[in-house]
Amino acid sequence: MTDRIRIQEQDFDLAEEYQLLRQTDSAVGAVVTFSGLVRDFEVNAEEAGSVMNSIDSLSLQHYPGMTESLLEKIVEEANQRWNLIATTVIHRVGDLAPKDQIVLVGVASQHRADAFEAAQFLMDYLKTKATFWKSVKRNGEHQWIESKASDQQAAARWDGSDDK
Amino acid sequence: MINVLFFGRLGDFAKQVPSTIEASTPAEIRELLAADFPELVRELNQPQVLVSVNKMIVGWDQPLFDGGEVAFLPPVTGG
Repeated sequence: MTDRIRIQEQDFDLAEEYQLLRQTDSAVGAVVTFSGLVRDFEVNAEEAGSVMNSIDSLSLQHYPGMTESLLEKIVEEANQRWNLIATTVIHRVGDLAPKDQIVLVGVASQHRADAFEAAQFLMDYLKTKATFWKSVKRNGEHQWIESKASDQQAAARWDGSDDK
Repeated sequence: MINVLFFGRLGDFAKQVPSTIEASTPAEIRELLAADFPELVRELNQPQVLVSVNKMIVGWDQPLFDGGEVAFLPPVTGG
């Protein structure tokens, strides 16, 4: 298996990453890629009626050293759970604007089910366990994003018998 | 001395906290901060806040050794 984990300020090229996954091995029969983008609004479910607040920019902080080792571990776990040929995880940090790419998860496998499921698993982990923190700027004011219960619920589906 | 880091929203309350503190557990660091940084300590007391020592998630009573790194981690919001 060929795994690439990167945390970086600079943007990434989805087409290039797809080609790398595709070219890893001639046994690759399926490639799933997910890319997450900066929206120009945040939904605050805590406020009555789920108020949509527009944002000017987003900033991502992480814990250097810890994030990388957590991601290495989770990619290793994905490799144990599914039959994967190559995995790419790229997460951007620093200041981002609406429409910017934030995250890429790409998985190559022989058959599609492994790639689909592993990509979901990795994204759920990135949302709930990896040491990243988002803040937004709105009318010049900085505000930390609250973690979402829906993300926690999505991640909980993987806490099965073969989880540690 | 122990190097101390605060991430996410905790950082906003910890701007004046010294970057190194003499303490034997993360819980003791929290106690030492209580008098001067009550707002920060109220945040640290939230049950979702995790603590790491040398980049591993641990309990609040984990023994600390000179030169170690303690980080306080609010709920993460990546992806």
